[in-house]
Amino acid sequence: MGVLVVVAAVAFLIYRGISTTGAYYLTVAELKTSEVGRGLGAGEVVRVGGDVVPGTVTYDQRALVLEFSIRDPDEPDQVLVARYEGPKPDAFEPEIEVLLEGTFDRASNLFLAENLLVKCPSKYQSEEES
Amino acid sequence: MVTLGTLSQGAALVFTLASMVLLLVGLMRNDLRWIRAGKRGLVAVAAFATLASIALAWLFLSDSFQVEYVASYSDRALPVFYKLTAFWAGQKGSLLFWAWVLAGFSALVVYNNRREPDSKVTAYVYLVLAGTLAFFLFLLTVVTNPFEVLGFTPPDGQGLNPMLQNPGMVFHPPTLFLGYIGFTVPFAYAVAAMVTGTTDAAWIRKTRAWNVLSWIFLTVGIILGGQWAYVELGWGGYWAWDPVENASFIPWLTSTAFIHTAIIQERRGIMRVWNMVLILLTFVLCIFGTYLVRSGVLQSVHDFGATGLGGYFLVFLGITLLGGLYLIAESYDEFRTPGTLESYLSRESTFLFNNVILLALAFATLFGTVFPLISEAVVGNKVTVGQPFFNQVNTPLFLVLLGITGVCPLIGWRKASPANLRKNFLRPAVGALVVGAVLVAAGIRQPYAWLAFTLAAFVAGTIVQEFVVAVAARSRLTGEASWNAALRLLWRLRRRYGGHLVHLGLVLIVVGIAGSSAYKLETQATLSRGESVEIGRYRLEYENFRIYDKFNRTVYAATLGVFAGDDRLGALDAERRYYINAKNPTTEVALRTTLREDLYVTMPGLARNGDITVKVAVNPLLVWIWIGGGLMVVGGVLAVIPARRKGRAS
Repeated sequence: MGVLVVVAAVAFLIYRGISTTGAYYLTVAELKTSEVGRGLGAGEVVRVGGDVVPGTVTYDQRALVLEFSIRDPDEPDQVLVARYEGPKPDAFEPEIEVLLEGTFDRASNLFLAENLLVKCPSKYQSEEES
Repeated sequence: MVTLGTLSQGAALVFTLASMVLLLVGLMRNDLRWIRAGKRGLVAVAAFATLASIALAWLFLSDSFQVEYVASYSDRALPVFYKLTAFWAGQKGSLLFWAWVLAGFSALVVYNNRREPDSKVTAYVYLVLAGTLAFFLFLLTVVTNPFEVLGFTPPDGQGLNPMLQNPGMVFHPPTLFLGYIGFTVPFAYAVAAMVTGTTDAAWIRKTRAWNVLSWIFLTVGIILGGQWAYVELGWGGYWAWDPVENASFIPWLTSTAFIHTAIIQERRGIMRVWNMVLILLTFVLCIFGTYLVRSGVLQSVHDFGATGLGGYFLVFLGITLLGGLYLIAESYDEFRTPGTLESYLSRESTFLFNNVILLALAFATLFGTVFPLISEAVVGNKVTVGQPFFNQVNTPLFLVLLGITGVCPLIGWRKASPANLRKNFLRPAVGALVVGAVLVAAGIRQPYAWLAFTLAAFVAGTIVQEFVVAVAARSRLTGEASWNAALRLLWRLRRRYGGHLVHLGLVLIVVGIAGSSAYKLETQATLSRGESVEIGRYRLEYENFRIYDKFNRTVYAATLGVFAGDDRLGALDAERRYYINAKNPTTEVALRTTLREDLYVTMPGLARNGDITVKVAVNPLLVWIWIGGGLMVVGGVLAVIPARRKGRAS
């Protein structure tokens, strides 16, 4: 009896947790063209991964605004312009794989990243959360 | 050295396989001579694995960059200390470390059983240990050899990731590994018990001891990992619910569950099947964690990248899980005991409840961790959950667990009487309510934080009350001074009070987590020299800037004076370090820790004109997480020191 109550409570917690905090994890191409990507609400949080395009990075040291584009590693012509307000992570650099979490504004074609995770290649290395 | 390493590693595999064959033959023929030979084989494996490890350490110390692994993780400028720790910085070396420790533990099991006659039970224990060893040694010799040489000798190595050049990173991986690996031993004992159909007092004692020992290592590993993240990564937190963090936390939960129900089995002889399930789960989850790290299936900070080892671990995982489940089903009739819970108000039932909550936490964490894989398989889209999910789901469960922690150790066995309840819980409950009221008056309104502090007061109250009463009683009886009586009591009943210390540690950790997550202050600012930034009761003034070389790095350091009102409390150096051999600078955290709060400063930005950009945070009560963690470990150690027994090591 008691066990059932706990199981039900946990199931509810997990269900609520996923429905309120779960977010799609998409590639740049999926975000731009797929049904799921196009169906996203205006303020819906989504995660998207890709490689930083060389020559697109600007960083305002005083205001702490980082702007860059990422592209889909599998479909390089799919590019996403992103803006992140916060300090540039140590490992951030052109060509590196990043994971963005935030909202996509389809009208201005701009991805507003609330979180930026940098994936370090090759070694037992760390991403950094910012 | 390369030859010595390769040969020793190969010899270890050969001896492990030989040992398995000897043990199997001995078991089939029921001949103890074969079993004894197999046992000695295991000790030889430990010797060879040690030789191989020495060889690899030597190659690192002697800058032997013709070895691919050494060239990848070390360079000439690396301080000697970190050259040694580069041993386990990568995939290959950490596997060798794993095999070495498991071989050492196996030899230790042999040593522990030296006074006991060999039997079928011990033979199965050795067989499982040898089987697991064989898996790791197979990976090392055949799939991913740390002694592999390049066709040439590079002039210098590629160096160690600067983030790993930190004392926390030195001890975090090995202790975590020691925990993971240690759980192989309870698993081996469980398999032996299920195959032979025997569990006795000695069995539960040994299984419990190895489980607690591994639990201690796992706890240390997890806490050090959190601390490393806090002081090194510079994002201000200590736990991110990253898949690999979760992978270490989940077996921690299941082994904690076992530590509790093992007591019931010891006392009442019940819950034997359940305990087997918990041991199996813990071991399987450890292997699963290793699989997650080394397969690259999930996005993680700890990723080794796609190493090509995932498949092997998956196979090993499958065999272990299916074999274990089969054995549990087979031995179910033998081990099951009729349900004998007399009352809901008893220690047994609170232990059960504690188990349910611990497993619920484990399940929720596991579910969230693998949810991207599930959702991709089921609906075709990867849906991920992040920190908010885990915080939302696990926080209420954790608070329930904390509440039970207060009740559990003091409620009577079998059926608690009203008198027992009144005696043990009235004062702590009243005390906690008073604390709760004071907290509200002091402005603590965040519901979870309030509940956490109030429950913490309750649990601490029960523990302190019980101890004070016991010390007073002893002091009356023996005439000892109270401090003396307290120490003697602590030592004589170390299992009991070790457990209580662990609980007290948990209380402090909860206080630290609640304080630092609910009342964290954060700000960032760009400063020219002489300018200040204010946060909470502090003002930080940018006073000075220096550039200097140290060991293998160039350091850019900004000195910030810390003021509270007009008092200058001291100075903090926020640094950016440019390591030789590293492409990017690393941010070094400047930290001012007091029991009340941490002042946490990083310098993510640095302009040519000397302006700096700083991130400043105040993390209230955070240091209590580390203090509580330390107390947990001390309590665990106290609880695992064996009671004196003639000629017995447990």
